[in-house]
Amino acid sequence: MKPAAFAWERPASLDALLDRVADAQGHVKLIAGGQSLGPMLNLRLVEPDLVLDITGVPDLRQARVEGDALVLGACVTHADIEDGRVPDLTGGALQRVAAAIAYRPVRNRGTVGGSLVHADPAADWVSALIALGAEVDLARRGERRRLPVERFVTGALDVALRPGEILLGVRVPARPAATAWGYVKHCAKIGEFAHAIGAVRLDPAAGTGRAVIGALEGPPLLFADARPLFGGRIGPDFAARFDGQAADAALLSAGLADAVARHVHVTVLARAVAQAAKPTPLPLPEAA
Amino acid sequence: MSAGLAESATGRMALALTVNGRLHRVEAEPRSHLGDVLREGLNLTGTHLGCEHGVCGACTVLLDGEPARACLTFAGACAGAAVTTVEGLDEDEVAAELRAAFNREHALQCGYCTPGMLVAARDLVLRLPEADERRVRVGLSGNLCRCTGYAGIVRAVTGVIAARRARGIGPEAGAARPLGPVGARLGEAAAASRPPATPARAAAPAAVSDLAGDFAPAHRFAQAIDLAHPPEAVFALLNDIEAVAACLPGAVLAGRPEADTVEGGLQVRIGPIRATFRGRARIARDEAGLSGRVRGAGSDAGGRSATEGEIRYRVSPGPAPGTARVDLDVGYTLTGPLAQFGRPGLVRDLAGRIAAEFARTLDARLSGAVGPAPAALDPFRLALGLLRARLAAWRGRA
Repeated sequence: MKPAAFAWERPASLDALLDRVADAQGHVKLIAGGQSLGPMLNLRLVEPDLVLDITGVPDLRQARVEGDALVLGACVTHADIEDGRVPDLTGGALQRVAAAIAYRPVRNRGTVGGSLVHADPAADWVSALIALGAEVDLARRGERRRLPVERFVTGALDVALRPGEILLGVRVPARPAATAWGYVKHCAKIGEFAHAIGAVRLDPAAGTGRAVIGALEGPPLLFADARPLFGGRIGPDFAARFDGQAADAALLSAGLADAVARHVHVTVLARAVAQAAKPTPLPLPEAA
Repeated sequence: MSAGLAESATGRMALALTVNGRLHRVEAEPRSHLGDVLREGLNLTGTHLGCEHGVCGACTVLLDGEPARACLTFAGACAGAAVTTVEGLDEDEVAAELRAAFNREHALQCGYCTPGMLVAARDLVLRLPEADERRVRVGLSGNLCRCTGYAGIVRAVTGVIAARRARGIGPEAGAARPLGPVGARLGEAAAASRPPATPARAAAPAAVSDLAGDFAPAHRFAQAIDLAHPPEAVFALLNDIEAVAACLPGAVLAGRPEADTVEGGLQVRIGPIRATFRGRARIARDEAGLSGRVRGAGSDAGGRSATEGEIRYRVSPGPAPGTARVDLDVGYTLTGPLAQFGRPGLVRDLAGRIAAEFARTLDARLSGAVGPAPAALDPFRLALGLLRARLAAWRGRA
């Protein structure tokens, strides 16, 4: 359980980091909190030539409000969000997701950027940030771009990063008080990777909403327009109108052949819808 | 280079750490995690190593005052940090109360989990003064104990919390801390080159069974690929082992000791994971039924992960005239670290991507192209689009 040998560098600025990522030879891996990459290094599933520690870059360890969006640097940890060390524009939605990720010692080092780039389909941020309509800021030397999270996560452990490109941070739009939010995951043991995730962000007044079914084998299934899940209309009575069969049909056409797995995913989504219908703020989930 | 770290010529880092209040300078390879630095470098063996991948919690220490996994914190990641191990909690007031309670409630037997359990419990006591038994159980779920059944541990921690609440002690406000992973100091530049490579171990011989007996795979899935060529042409090409190997991404054909047996390797990638399996496969065909069976076994370079598998295929007419569909029934068993990490779904996702690339190059070869198909040609785009649709339909739990 010891990693294969690698070189270690810890650039102190973003420019130095981007230069190094652009010029380094061989198999290079970036590390932030190391809570996903660490196990893979220890198991020697990943044997990089060079590990670049990005936590020394001040730009990646900031959180700020820009217009109506919260911008979180890639190295902001789950515990930073759980403890309220970053501004809250989502009515506690981010905080509740963060507080239930893995265990406290993991949350103290695991980062939102690392979780997104690792792109484990069962990870919380992959599904939750898609449901919240978040975007990622990406950069490589001399070039910046922005992508919705659903276009960033392209498969299991697969993201749209190009050679030499890194994730700078994530932009989470404010969630108006009138919108309803529900996020439920199913784990057999507290803190383990989820077997099913359901997330909804609904605006009954505007009649719009997004829904996500996550912890599938590929990227999450996004309903960018969730109205078909509610009989074609999202109103104040959305909880009563939730149509599990529509979700089941969508999962089936997405290739989920196992009826039991579909039932679990639909049930978890239904719980997320029910949670969204409850008055906020909700108490923090029981977290490890 | 900061005072915290300096590179020495041997690929080791000179590392400054404040451990249990004392400044230490240790040398460590970049791959050494904090648990090994403490145990091997400083002889602080109170920090225990269990799973070494973040699950068991035995190695939990305080990093800049907050609990963190020592096994997932590499040496260079915590240069300049303050570390508190169980040895450093002797004078700690909360730890003293917990030790007395653990003693009273019989909260340990072998003691292996206890150092991590005490660090995690101390964090709960300070952070969650209102916690009830259920909340304590949830809070300790990241620390595994195989002796006690947790009952004594939960009683001990719940008792300390209740006693402190009775004394009117509130939650610790928590020291102001910068955003980012605990222990990761800003401005601590660090670098170490890769240590000189040790001579590579001779690859262990692939674990090859006789490939004749019955095989009961641990996992099965089905997949179909569509090709814009007649079934007979597709089936004929599948008999050309060299062509098939050339079309299969990451595959290398090493030899053909017998007419029905091939030797070779397959390099696979899942995200950052790269593994090369070497082994042997036996091939059987049913000419009349346009079907066949490939049975193979192999192991990765270090011989740590091994796989055995069987692919049954059948070529049939596709949805349009002159097209073919290849139905694959894949069964496999995977052992070793790759199996420990890899959930079956990830393997299927990977197999889907390999199959898509395989079908693309197979299609190109059937169209007369040599080598990788030029992506600009429209028919290939068409086939690829068809495949992506199949792939999208296939992804998911089979």
